[in-house]
Amino acid sequence: MGTPAGLIGTTAFQGLAVSELTALGAAGLPLLVVQHPLGGERPESVARRAQEALEQLASLIGRTA
Amino acid sequence: MSAGAEAPAPVAESERFIEVDDDPQALLAAFCERRWCDGLPIVAPTEARVRAMLAGRAPERSLGAMPPLWRQVTLEKLAVNAVMAGCEPAYFPIIVAAVEGMLDPTFNLYGVQATTHPVAPLVVVHGEYGRSVGVHAGSGCFGPGFRANATIGRAIRLIMLNIGGAWPGRHDMATQGSPAKFSYCIGENVEASPWGPLHADDVVTVFGGEPPHNVNDHVSTTASGILTTVADTAVSLGSNVGWFMAQSQLMLVLGPEHAATVAGDGLARRDVQQFVFEHARLPLRILKLSGMWGMHDWPLWMQATRDDDALMPQVLSPDEIVVFVAGGPGKHSAVVPNCTFSRAVTRPIRS
Repeated sequence: MGTPAGLIGTTAFQGLAVSELTALGAAGLPLLVVQHPLGGERPESVARRAQEALEQLASLIGRTA
Repeated sequence: MSAGAEAPAPVAESERFIEVDDDPQALLAAFCERRWCDGLPIVAPTEARVRAMLAGRAPERSLGAMPPLWRQVTLEKLAVNAVMAGCEPAYFPIIVAAVEGMLDPTFNLYGVQATTHPVAPLVVVHGEYGRSVGVHAGSGCFGPGFRANATIGRAIRLIMLNIGGAWPGRHDMATQGSPAKFSYCIGENVEASPWGPLHADDVVTVFGGEPPHNVNDHVSTTASGILTTVADTAVSLGSNVGWFMAQSQLMLVLGPEHAATVAGDGLARRDVQQFVFEHARLPLRILKLSGMWGMHDWPLWMQATRDDDALMPQVLSPDEIVVFVAGGPGKHSAVVPNCTFSRAVTRPIRS
């Protein structure tokens, strides 16, 4: 059955990710998308993105974080 | 496209044949509309021209799948793009060899295609075949003015765009790109090399590099002087090289006059590599000031360094510095840092 997998990326790379998944026959793979940019952000901003990502992840796997 | 807008999806990628008025401007408009070209005028890839480019090779033969969209790289597709770029059929074996090199996993073409870094494959043509078809290795070899260099390099980019699907802002995520992404091909100037050829056989080296960084030294009369200027050019806080060590490489394209000065002091190619390896370094205290500090990927011995005055290397060994001669008269050379997630690959030209 394989290992459950997803993809984490930022909004700027969402189009590339969708195209790539489609090209590789994995169009249905869930995407966890974080607001771009992530690099160069202050720690508090990164923490906020991480919390948002966690909420997305909980939603994607169907349970509460 | 306006600033900040995402490029729309290319249209009608599956069209195999289109009819266009026999007019250069109509042809350019039709191909630009479909996002099948780099924005410059093209030669119409008619069936007859594509057949001539193939010169009897099997059009359906595939070299593999090209990222980021993983389309099959058939010889016919390569020939179409070579015609569009303005290539002579004699250039085609060089293009095939370059693409074979780019498809080697070592080259990591997915990374080269999709990164935000301005990397482009620098195609270096070695050997007699390249010279016989006009690949230029003398004055102004990086361009412009030489059909083989211009069109082979352009064909590689069209292939990356049209077969790989790396459209800027959509699948090629380069923040700014670079002029080298239009065309980036030179020959090795064997006649001017005091050390003979880097490769004597008919081969192509592909190197995922930044555009050339100029090494200007009109004063030095010694190997030490020239190579100190080279080493200083090779270090930059803004480079990927030196931060992501596992695949950091430098290409040193020595101009003939600089090469002669260096060799005049008795240094062999290996000595040049060793000197640049030893001198292209920054102190740890300076590296700590940089924006890549904290994201760097260093081997344990570098991570364990605590002396702020310790000089940290740009690459892991002298072998990671590729040295050869190209160019004409003058006191300039070039350093080409790689993107650090791709390694140089060399493949034979099979004419």
